Amino acid sequence: MSTDARAVAEPLLGFADSLPAAAAGTAAPAAMLHLLTFTLDREEFGIPVTQVREVIRVDGITRVPQVPAHVRGVTNLRGRILAVVEIRTRLGLTPAVVTPSSRIVVVELMGRALGLLVDRVSQVTKVPVDSVAPPPEEVVTAETDFLTGVARWNSRLIMLLDLDKVLLLNA
Amino acid sequence: MTAGENPFGDLLQDYIVECLPLAEQVGDAFVELERSWRSDEPGDDLLTTVKGRLHTIKGNSAMMGIAPARDVAHALEDACGFLGRAPDARTADAAALLVAGGGLLVELVGGASPELDPAPATAFVERVRVYLTAAPGAATTGSDRRQTERRGPRSDEGGAAGNTVRIDFRRLDAMLEVLGEGLIQHSSLVELYRRLLRKVGAGVELEELDQTVLSLQKTLTRLESTLMEARLLPVSTVLGRFPRLVRDVAHAEGKKVRLEVSGGETALDKAVLDRLGEPLLHLVSNAVAHGLEHPEERTRAGKPAEGHIRLRAASVSGRVTIRVSDDGRGLDVEAIRAKAESLGLDVRNADDAQLHHLVFVSGLSTAERVTTLSGRGLGLDVAANVIHALGGTIEVESRKGQGTAFTLSLPVTLAIVRSLIVEVDRERYAVPLSHVAETVRAEPEAIRQINNQGVTQWRGDLIHVADAGAVLGTPESSRGLRPFYVVMTAGAKRRGLLVDRLIGHQDIVVKGLDPALGRPTVVSGTTILGDGRVACILDVVRILDGAAHVN
Repeated sequence: MSTDARAVAEPLLGFADSLPAAAAGTAAPAAMLHLLTFTLDREEFGIPVTQVREVIRVDGITRVPQVPAHVRGVTNLRGRILAVVEIRTRLGLTPAVVTPSSRIVVVELMGRALGLLVDRVSQVTKVPVDSVAPPPEEVVTAETDFLTGVARWNSRLIMLLDLDKVLLLNA
Repeated sequence: MTAGENPFGDLLQDYIVECLPLAEQVGDAFVELERSWRSDEPGDDLLTTVKGRLHTIKGNSAMMGIAPARDVAHALEDACGFLGRAPDARTADAAALLVAGGGLLVELVGGASPELDPAPATAFVERVRVYLTAAPGAATTGSDRRQTERRGPRSDEGGAAGNTVRIDFRRLDAMLEVLGEGLIQHSSLVELYRRLLRKVGAGVELEELDQTVLSLQKTLTRLESTLMEARLLPVSTVLGRFPRLVRDVAHAEGKKVRLEVSGGETALDKAVLDRLGEPLLHLVSNAVAHGLEHPEERTRAGKPAEGHIRLRAASVSGRVTIRVSDDGRGLDVEAIRAKAESLGLDVRNADDAQLHHLVFVSGLSTAERVTTLSGRGLGLDVAANVIHALGGTIEVESRKGQGTAFTLSLPVTLAIVRSLIVEVDRERYAVPLSHVAETVRAEPEAIRQINNQGVTQWRGDLIHVADAGAVLGTPESSRGLRPFYVVMTAGAKRRGLLVDRLIGHQDIVVKGLDPALGRPTVVSGTTILGDGRVACILDVVRILDGAAHVN
């Protein structure tokens, strides 16, 4: 399982390593990050597809009493119980209102599946590794703590979520 | 019994986890040796590695008291030692002997328990002895051939065990998952049938559907009971290790103890048994170390010098009770009272029974000394928590000078629980039926408010009635009295829970709580209902325990 987690962290580590190299102008064959992107309010967020197991429609999330903040509840994922994280409140936004376009992004973290409730899933996007910059200093909001970087690509601004941090709910 | 942080139930598991891979490597190495020798490669390095592993297995087995595994490892070690010195003896028959021993060792280590049948090990040790006596003098093919003839079918098979297969417990769990899906699909069918009935009214086809769904239910129930039976093991698998433990603790404490174990044949789900060892171990070692007096003290009190500890298991109306009793000094209520006061608890009006119950409160262990086994980190509060987590209850009775008895009541299984499904503010919850005494229509005039708590007469007693919306913290709690209450019981405690609707009874497959959900105290798990929705299972024991925290 830990090797999985490492495999999953690889793309992020990869781009972190590549940043200085890109600045120095080393022309490697354009390395691409494969991201699953989704929107929360108007902003677009991305996570490495390697960390995503699947995306499911929202079909009933059961509230569980006395759970930590930011846990929306649990849902039935083909007979297994999936905990669903309210990622919006985790990022300082208002709680999600479930609409027909709402989705649960099932991610794998340390060998465990967790669901992220998002407003809408856009698509799988490839962005060049060198389009990624560290989170801009001037945008000092709580959520920058949860970002590994920001990708600017084809006039899109995609914020790369640090799932490990976002989903460390008990901290 | 001295190494490691946790001397309790997990020891055997740790042993298996550590030694089974070693034993498997040994087994594989022997197969590899057989192959090497066939092609005339000496395989000296393999022999050396194997000897090291055998030595480890031997040592660990000896420490755990798994004599058959120890003896087989020892015999194999001897055989490897001899074969290392005598390259000429590395024949196909010698290899076959090693391979057979390796296989046996894997079986013994994998199935390690105090009840392990010693016969196959004894037979194998004898085979090795015969081989080693015969081999040095005449390490010829002739003597080896005789050895081959001796081999024959494995002695640990056949007979009554002929119809038995060994199966990984995880496969039983997997089957249970599938059964669970079947049960869910069945409830979906029932719902669908009801909807159809409402929509199109009664008819021949619907009646047939009803019959089919009913027979499907019967089939599933049969499958369920067969599968549950396969998961059951006799309690003796856990109780069996206590004679040794009691002897050890008694020796360390300078006490004389007679242990009486009964009801070992009582069956419990392996999943429950696996977690029961630790709390039981604590209760038993506690009884020896703290419950019983020293022989001189007992004689002075006019009791037999030898203390008496009884461990009794029994099936009682769908649950299993295990009682650990001693004829020792009994709980010291004054010491408990003093300790409770020092912790700031108000115990002025507490009676003896209430004071006894305080031994389960963290920080209130009254043991004067910390002993090697009973004092190691695990207090009675922890033991009680484990029991509660299993959906069980633990109670204590004690009489000064006469002894103490702890009574555990446990569900036979954790996997499938017959439950009452209730609805509260449009949320559905499962209440295990073993904790439901009755469901009652709530008459407004029958429920009075005393100190902001609902109170009603039930079977001649006054019981508290709490609003489920408040207990469960529903976001949109409806105002006013709900139409029903469920009388929940756990041990001697009871309490009514007001709910909106009683949906019905259902066998639910218990699913755990994801660690991301933290540790809620009012729910113990989750399940999937007929409509595919997830429902939480109420943790009745803890709801009743924490009754004071609920306004």
